[in-house]
Amino acid sequence: MRNYLKQIGTILWKDLLVEFRTRERLITMGAFVVLVAILFNYATDWVRVSPEDIASGLVWMTIMFAGLLGVGRTFHLEAEDGAFQGILLSPVPKDAIFLAKALANFVFLYIVALLVVAVFMFFFGLEVSRNFGMLAIVIGLGVLAFVALGTLFTAVSTGTRMGDTLLPVLIFPLLAPVVIYGTGATSQFLAGRPLTEAEGSIKMLAAIALMAFFLGSLLFRFVVED
Amino acid sequence: MSVPVYREADEKAPPVLQAQGLVREYGSVIAVDEIDLSLARGEFLTIFGPNGAGKTSLLALLAGALRPSRGQVWLRGEPLDFGEVEWRRRIGVLSHQGFLYGHLSAEENLRFYGQLFGLSDVDNVVRDKLQHLGLQERATSLVRDLSHGMRQRLALARTLLHDPDIVLLDEPYTGLDPSAALVLQGVLSDLRDGRRTVVMVTHNLSEGVALATSVAIMNRGRFVWQGKRAELEGDFGQFYHTVIEGHG
Repeated sequence: MRNYLKQIGTILWKDLLVEFRTRERLITMGAFVVLVAILFNYATDWVRVSPEDIASGLVWMTIMFAGLLGVGRTFHLEAEDGAFQGILLSPVPKDAIFLAKALANFVFLYIVALLVVAVFMFFFGLEVSRNFGMLAIVIGLGVLAFVALGTLFTAVSTGTRMGDTLLPVLIFPLLAPVVIYGTGATSQFLAGRPLTEAEGSIKMLAAIALMAFFLGSLLFRFVVED
Repeated sequence: MSVPVYREADEKAPPVLQAQGLVREYGSVIAVDEIDLSLARGEFLTIFGPNGAGKTSLLALLAGALRPSRGQVWLRGEPLDFGEVEWRRRIGVLSHQGFLYGHLSAEENLRFYGQLFGLSDVDNVVRDKLQHLGLQERATSLVRDLSHGMRQRLALARTLLHDPDIVLLDEPYTGLDPSAALVLQGVLSDLRDGRRTVVMVTHNLSEGVALATSVAIMNRGRFVWQGKRAELEGDFGQFYHTVIEGHG
């Protein structure tokens, strides 16, 4: 078990180090998030619509699209010089590889998701300080579910001729429950409602995240083995 | 520094690497067609053949990178089990690609693979390997800044890092200048220490034959000639072309 966790840690650390040096994904996702928030700000008629009514939906859709940009490139750097094949030929269980890649994606996307909240607070004047802790947990659970599904289906789409084009088609139908429960809980917190009213949505998000990681770990080897 | 000792393969030892009826199909194309082989400890098999003969696919099958469509590979009498990973510790693979990360340094790349293979003394092993391959002065250079020859040497260091007893080499001489080829030749000669079983695919006829204990010529997915190096007489280049033309 210790060796298993060490192997996950090794791949996770390598992914973080490579991203820290290239900043390829974080910069792309960060720039996307800021630009989307600016566009939404100008595209919304604030006389007719109040920010609280639409903010949770916009926050979650921005996280989903930014996530697609980042998660879609999970295996691009690995493809350079066939490095992913090198990992597959090492004595690391395929589920450990999946967990490491998904956790690395979680770190990147969670940073971006918090940036999304900050940017929307700035442009939409949202007040989240009272429930920020719970909001961070809800977003964390949604991001966990997203990266588990995203990592698995990116591995599927990377091996096809359609590549990145195929990824949204595969993943969006499966993300519907994440968006539904994520926006549900976020709306409650943005409206200043108590935790008990969002409890059901949080439990559902946790269950989806758990199931996505379990299925991803189980199915990843069938996707990457030739 | 110890002088490598070249020992002939132990013919009576049980086979280390075996394949029987190995077939790999890609749709309607048969890349590897009913290949049988049996290699003992210390044996060095060099496989020659024209482009598209199926050499790389065969090596990928032996490495466990590809599943065979039919047939079976055994390591020390045990069939390859794709659900297990422990047997991967015994194989080192040098492919067309180096499996290296351009944004990590030479040292970081080796340490990464050393940790994946669970080496106990990674730092010392990495230092030794870099020194052995003459890369110690470029240890902290990013791989993307290294020349092709240096990358190839680093890839070889990665292949041998975990001291595998089965080494699979795919076109190790590709793109190397004469001095880099000479360094590689020295390292490959060291592999003939009687401990390892080596399979090498190459277009380099003279170097390939010089290193081999056994030679196979492959065409259209099959071994069209297979024998001991000692059986080869005269000009191997001419012999090779005669065999290929005879099975064209």
